[in-house]
Amino acid sequence: MAAYENPEMLVSCEWVAAHLADPAVRIVESNEDRALYTQGHIRGAVEIDWQVDLQNQVCRDYIDRAGFEKLCQANGISPDTTLVFYGDKNNWWACYALWVFKLYGHKDCRIMNGGRKRWQLDGREWTADRVNSPHAQYTATEQDGSIRAMRDEVLRHQRTSKRLVDVRSPEEYSGARLHMPDYPNEGALRGGHIPGAVNVPWALSCNEDGTFKSAQELSKLYLKDAKLKRRSPTIAYCRIGERSSLTWFVLKYLLGFSNVKNYDGSWMEWGNCVGVPIVQGSAPIGGTAASHTPAASADLLTPLP
Amino acid sequence: MNSVQSRLDAIIGECAELDGREKLELLLDFASRLPPLSTEQQARKASEDRRVHECQTPVFLWTETQNDASRLIAEVAPEAPTVMGFVAILTEAIEGRPPEEVLSLPDDILERMGLAEVLGILRTRGLRAIVGHVKRSIVRGMAGES
Repeated sequence: MAAYENPEMLVSCEWVAAHLADPAVRIVESNEDRALYTQGHIRGAVEIDWQVDLQNQVCRDYIDRAGFEKLCQANGISPDTTLVFYGDKNNWWACYALWVFKLYGHKDCRIMNGGRKRWQLDGREWTADRVNSPHAQYTATEQDGSIRAMRDEVLRHQRTSKRLVDVRSPEEYSGARLHMPDYPNEGALRGGHIPGAVNVPWALSCNEDGTFKSAQELSKLYLKDAKLKRRSPTIAYCRIGERSSLTWFVLKYLLGFSNVKNYDGSWMEWGNCVGVPIVQGSAPIGGTAASHTPAASADLLTPLP
Repeated sequence: MNSVQSRLDAIIGECAELDGREKLELLLDFASRLPPLSTEQQARKASEDRRVHECQTPVFLWTETQNDASRLIAEVAPEAPTVMGFVAILTEAIEGRPPEEVLSLPDDILERMGLAEVLGILRTRGLRAIVGHVKRSIVRGMAGES
């Protein structure tokens, strides 16, 4: 594969610099560390925070459709606005924000390749100026279930041996660790992975400068080495669905997978569920690892068709 | 000299008045005042395991007490200015005070500053872990360990 399947989903820093005054374009920053935006952002960029803006603060879920519409209206975003997301950490949170915008059907969403790091390496300008967004009209669609997997669907998917990709570190995958190296344990009671999931740590998709690897490199990583298939239904997961949204972006848009979903419940749900199967160890299935498939697991499901 | 508690109260009082954006600006202000490690501290950081493993970003932190005066020594990666700002607040509050006072650091600093709403649940939890880490370091110091 010589080129990305959907190259228009990525824009360069040059492109962004040339569109700063374009009223049809809104630049959106989303970071792990919120103070980075306050310290300095791309001129005119608004900040949409994955935790405070996009998540429901009571229930573990995203903001609802009305909340999403309000967020867009306040940030000067119309349904036909071209949105360009960027951020820290290889655009990890930018991809997460993009995924939520896709969930509510926003048409034109792109990623600034390389994010904050590439912009900084290019020596481009940061500003701490406040951004005043014009009020916009926005009507969202209902959530697009074709890109989001919920627990029962994942269980069904796993039981029918469809493809899963676990994008966490090898230590989290094997169950040796319950959380990322150097990150806090956010509360999974069990370690390991969903049976059958292959392990491709998310950061392997990115270069040192924060940009995505080439189409050839990504094809080798996901198609040749991990043996994922572009036409096979695939579910990506991590710990809370953030790292896997970057992998989801890569599979869907850069490699052109026709049916790939992000399981945002991820290990913080699966590793706490009663009665779901778990494999420990470095092999996708069985091996010397401890595997447990309790008889009661089917009770979690509505009957299979 | 003001107690840890009264210094913190002053910072909390100032921060609580601010809007979300200004709160982050205040954190950035503190972050810019966090002193860099001396050469000797750099060597300690490298030779001893001073990394805060509960923390999301590279944070190295330990306490020292001499003649009943505590000091927090810390290095935080510049890509994490929120963490750097919070650590700088703790550093200023603790400087020169007796270890017993440091142990009374409250756990709800971020909530009282009004930062919990700005940062969200997960980030708040991560920062709170730093307070626990500081106290454990003080306890180890009181027990005569380094």
